[in-house]
Amino acid sequence: MACTRTLARLATRRTVVRPAVFSRGFASVTDTHARDPLSKVGEKIVPDAERKPIPESKTSTVQEPDPSKDAKTKTFHIYRWNPDEPSSKPQMQTYTLDLNKTGPMMLDALIRIKNEVDPTLTFRRSCREGICGSCAMNIDGVNTLACLCRIPTDTAKESRIYPLPHMYVVKDLVPDMTLFYKQYRSVKPYLQRSTAAPDGREFRQSKEDRKKLDGLYECILCACCSTSCPSYWWNQEEYLGPAVLLQSYRWIADSRDEKKAERQDALNNSMSLYRCHTILNCSRTCPKGLNPALAIAEIKKSMAFT
Amino acid sequence: MASIMRPGVLRQACTKPAASQRMLSTFTSSARNRPLGQQLRPAFQRASIPQSTRIAAFHATQRNQLLPALPQKVVGTTNDPTPVPDPDYAHGSYHWSFERIISAGLVPLTIAPFAAGSLNPVTDSILCALLVVHSHIGFESSIIDYFPKSRVPLVRASLMWALRISTVAVGLALYSFETNDVGVTEAVLRLWHA
Repeated sequence: MACTRTLARLATRRTVVRPAVFSRGFASVTDTHARDPLSKVGEKIVPDAERKPIPESKTSTVQEPDPSKDAKTKTFHIYRWNPDEPSSKPQMQTYTLDLNKTGPMMLDALIRIKNEVDPTLTFRRSCREGICGSCAMNIDGVNTLACLCRIPTDTAKESRIYPLPHMYVVKDLVPDMTLFYKQYRSVKPYLQRSTAAPDGREFRQSKEDRKKLDGLYECILCACCSTSCPSYWWNQEEYLGPAVLLQSYRWIADSRDEKKAERQDALNNSMSLYRCHTILNCSRTCPKGLNPALAIAEIKKSMAFT
Repeated sequence: MASIMRPGVLRQACTKPAASQRMLSTFTSSARNRPLGQQLRPAFQRASIPQSTRIAAFHATQRNQLLPALPQKVVGTTNDPTPVPDPDYAHGSYHWSFERIISAGLVPLTIAPFAAGSLNPVTDSILCALLVVHSHIGFESSIIDYFPKSRVPLVRASLMWALRISTVAVGLALYSFETNDVGVTEAVLRLWHA
């Protein structure tokens, strides 16, 4: 009996060579994805890895709603990609705006486009004054905050706006920052102490020690520097990137922190820190004027011969 | 029979293009590359879509990309930190310090023989040795940058071995050049004046 049961099981089991049509399946379990919702189907489609956006020459232009006579019309080409149509290529959408009716900053232009021209345009913004780091994007080839970037008044030149390079795009100008934040979490960005303060009050610092944190604590983690770093483009999974290393140095340099050695050991391997080849794109692009490359160099110096 | 009664089974079978459809084209778009609208149509209707739409434009070779980006994969939950690797001083801080010493040492060693105007076989041999190590470290760094271990482990290993073999070969060649011939500094001098 056992023998026949095994044979029957063999006969019903689907093997690799036998097509699904000839095998006997049990009720509706052969195709588990048949009734997936639309979003699931979309997730399963793996897009072509490095699709270039459809250039602006092949897409339409959205004009200024009601152009006035002496309008200073500027053209903006903006990267568009909609996750609801996962199989369609990203494209460059062109908008024209009258600069006389627009604020001075790129973010003003984007907000105006969203308010008056195309409400489907998606981007992150919050503080509009360069303190939240939400509106980081690639404007005219430079990673910067849209709220700190003036619109070039030369109307002959067209502006191009892309999301941060080499990031997974959620929609239009919104990049996926999951990995970046996970890496930030891995450097333990908080004060680690096991001893209490000597006078039982707050942890004090001399003025000199406090000065060491200047140029480090101002970082708003907009990821402009990390996404401008070629090393971070190639080895995102292992290399931490300038922004996270600057934050790591902010805690290594802090005189109140007692886990300096552990923090250094966490970076002491081939990939986490030493993929920095002093390309210095990070210092060049930082919209807050900080110097992540210097912080990385300081970490390397402090760890030399140890 | 089974297929008529259970369209789900047939749908699964149809997502893989039959051999006859694949035969005359160099590149049949697989199921995942097909547009979404086509994916969502009922199986029978999809089967009747003309073949031309399934086949990409004729190319003798497919587009060939080196290490295209993979689909995003988040390890753990979004609130977990990325794993911190164990400290590895030999490939970390010691490696970096050693590398800096060699790079800094190369500068005076390159200038010294010409500035002093005399040729010393000892400085010459040190210069050769440091040059070999310096270039080895540089190439090693490039390989680590461009060939991630997680994606192309075999290419990475073979390139590393190729680098090691060529470093040894260059070292041997320089050794014989130093001992049997004029030496590096003298060779540069002669080429300069040639």
